[in-house]
Amino acid sequence: MQFYLFGDLIVLPTDVIAAWVSVIIGAPLVLYWFTKKRYWPVVWDFATSTNHRKIGMLYIIFALLFFFRAGIDALFIRMQLVTAENEFWVFQGDKYNEIFTTHGTMMIFFVAMPLLIGLMNVAVPLQIGANDLAFPFLNAIGFYLFLTGGMIFFAAFFFNAAPNAGWTAYAPLSTYEFTSGPNNNYYIFGLQVSGLGTIFAAINMIVTILRLRAPGLKLTRMPLFPWASLITSFLILVAFPVLAIALLLLQFDRFYGATFFIGEMGHPVYWQHLFWIFGHPEVYILALPAFGIFSDIISNFSRKNVFGYTSMVIALALIGLLGFMVWAHHMFTVGLGPFANTFFAITTMMIAVPTGIKVFNWLFTMRRGVIRLQTPMLFALGFIPTFVMGGVTGVMLASAAADMQYHDTYFVVAHFHYVIIGSTVLGAFAGLYYWYPKMTGKVLDDKLGKWHFWLFLIGFHLTFFPQHLAGLNGMPRRVYDYTWEDGVFVYNFISTIGAFLMGASMLFVLWNIYKTHRTKEENVGPDPWDGRTLEWSVPSPVPEHPFEKMPVIDRRDALWWAKQEGRSLPVADHPRASPIAVRTVQPLVLSAALTILSFGFIYGWVWMQILGGAASLGFFLLRAFNDERTEAYRKEEQDDE
Amino acid sequence: MKKLAMMAVLLVLSGCNLRVLDPKSQTASDQAFLIYLSFGIMMFVVLVVTVLFIGFTWKYRETEKNRYDTPKHEEGNRTLEIIWTVLPIILLIGLAIPTVMITYDVSDIGATSDETLHVNVTGEQFRWTFEYENGKQTHKNLVLPVDQEVVLHLTSNDVIHSFWVPKLGGKIDVLPGEENQMKITPNEEGTYQGKCAEYCGTLHTDMRFDTEVVDQEEFQQWLEE
Repeated sequence: MQFYLFGDLIVLPTDVIAAWVSVIIGAPLVLYWFTKKRYWPVVWDFATSTNHRKIGMLYIIFALLFFFRAGIDALFIRMQLVTAENEFWVFQGDKYNEIFTTHGTMMIFFVAMPLLIGLMNVAVPLQIGANDLAFPFLNAIGFYLFLTGGMIFFAAFFFNAAPNAGWTAYAPLSTYEFTSGPNNNYYIFGLQVSGLGTIFAAINMIVTILRLRAPGLKLTRMPLFPWASLITSFLILVAFPVLAIALLLLQFDRFYGATFFIGEMGHPVYWQHLFWIFGHPEVYILALPAFGIFSDIISNFSRKNVFGYTSMVIALALIGLLGFMVWAHHMFTVGLGPFANTFFAITTMMIAVPTGIKVFNWLFTMRRGVIRLQTPMLFALGFIPTFVMGGVTGVMLASAAADMQYHDTYFVVAHFHYVIIGSTVLGAFAGLYYWYPKMTGKVLDDKLGKWHFWLFLIGFHLTFFPQHLAGLNGMPRRVYDYTWEDGVFVYNFISTIGAFLMGASMLFVLWNIYKTHRTKEENVGPDPWDGRTLEWSVPSPVPEHPFEKMPVIDRRDALWWAKQEGRSLPVADHPRASPIAVRTVQPLVLSAALTILSFGFIYGWVWMQILGGAASLGFFLLRAFNDERTEAYRKEEQDDE
Repeated sequence: MKKLAMMAVLLVLSGCNLRVLDPKSQTASDQAFLIYLSFGIMMFVVLVVTVLFIGFTWKYRETEKNRYDTPKHEEGNRTLEIIWTVLPIILLIGLAIPTVMITYDVSDIGATSDETLHVNVTGEQFRWTFEYENGKQTHKNLVLPVDQEVVLHLTSNDVIHSFWVPKLGGKIDVLPGEENQMKITPNEEGTYQGKCAEYCGTLHTDMRFDTEVVDQEEFQQWLEE
């Protein structure tokens, strides 16, 4: 909106004003509701806990919140593109660029990743018979770093400074010379802070899986979700530091006039290499845990063990390994030359082999089984054809010369939504319905779950299938407008209808959660799905330290075989020392310090940088000389004597 | 089912004349061939998976009869697993060989003859500049003679752009401080859309141009105007 006041042109960003107004009206309502329902003790309990279930739930809750935010961005995008030569609200030019940048970045880093890490938090310790993650305090820190990064990124829009260089932030567009505002500083700090949290989560997961498995649960007897989590964590450990380095270099270019990505000494393509050496493994960081979830669910709901277990594990590892050798397939048009292009084309095609093995193993797990069509299984069934469609366009994209046509068009947009929504988002939904009883003690309503599934899946295909054709007809990505002569109106129109169907399906999730918790029914028992893995041997919701008596595992799906033979799982004679839970507000303090630090850098206020930096450093010093576990250890030693 | 029906409707609507699949140069034809080839191979994969998927889901779904059955334990099947490892490898080799050949072909600038037309293409926020050997400059339209080899020398004044005329061939990035080259030989007269394909800032959307392919005489006339 713009108007003249006393002869001056006043430009008001009405979208930002609308956001502020809705927060000012909405926030007091939420606060009032929390107070009235006496939820504050619960909130405080979750905020200061180091329990893996609670932290996992927090990851999921905030990921869903960000999901709705980034989903609304997507609807704005679709509204602007609904017809040719359209002008929807303010979303043209820079505003449109901000909205697609926010949508992409948020969906990848603050929705997909935390949804999966949240599910890992909840399920992995229970599936391997651990009482908690190996480092509960670090786990809380990891969550708060994700939340801080997410909130910093989230806040950008409210200060009318959302990042606008795309989620890939290609230099030199992302350097100070071309985008001088604070916008892309939000991008740098949002990702830097949350990325550190992700690395912590990965370390925690690796140590937990390697060290805290129940007696007899060899790696070769482990369910596939912990396997996928283990491999994913190694990918994170290698890939995320690369992102951190790239962001740091970009920060130096932007703030201190360094020339890593610009000028005589630097080169813009360095950024692309660094970004995709992180970025391509990232795709598998998103996909592998989903594969793990689907393996467990398909096996459970077919009442059969996983077909070809060994090849499933090898395929996971191979995909992870090859994931590091394919980054330049994002750069076929850069002009790296035909040798580099064909090399990366072939490595990319090779990934199709282990992926194919997994798909056929899933199909043959279902063969000769008894397939129960409950909500988690429906999502798993929806995943197979959807993901295969995304996978085959992936192979088409791998063909380097052909990719020069697809690259940076809606064909690519369609492809990556098919693989990421097909695997990660459907996987996260499946996991959410599947493990919801473990988190809360209630099973989500199956009928509403099915509504959610069908609306989402149909909406999804309506949205993204036509985009393949729009791309082949010459529609580049990241454009806010097209002409009638472009001949892409029909595709875009159908896309928009589909997007709103997906949006509507998400309302069923909210309704489902509301409905499930409104009725004061008894909690379900430990095993609502007739499960096969260890998490179904402990009560729902799972208490702290559920494995006081360690189960002894003698084969895969030990719980299932015990149930078949009508016995209970044998337990070990001696309990095992568990990770020690604490109540702590320290992560909250660190979160505040890093927020101050980040805003100091984003707006270039040196005093705030010093304040936030000193506070963060002080926190580390404090932690270095402080271990709340000492007391517990001392007590243990005394008990032993 | 829904997906298939939708696909059919869309194909009718689009009339199958998608720009990328309507090539007007050898380069674009080669690329369209690769697209069709990979699409064909991949449709075979999709077909196999779909048949198995629908078959298994239907045949083994829970019914009144099997509700309380316990399926037999099944570790795996070596033969089957070898089949679905080897078969995709063969299919991929079938795609990899033409991919390598065509990728080398389309990237090859090779020796240019005296006949070859050279055009300097400069990208900047948010317009293109096409400069011919005699110094003539245009922004909105790139005029090329039909059936003559053209080498484009592309560079950028600011951020990264990408030069793309779907009917004449795949895109090539336009980098600051670097020259990329692209060789095309348009083989049919007409006016073809050109676009910037790499996101380059506020008005990235508007960074378009027309490529007019005309006959030799007309081109010479235009060049000397």
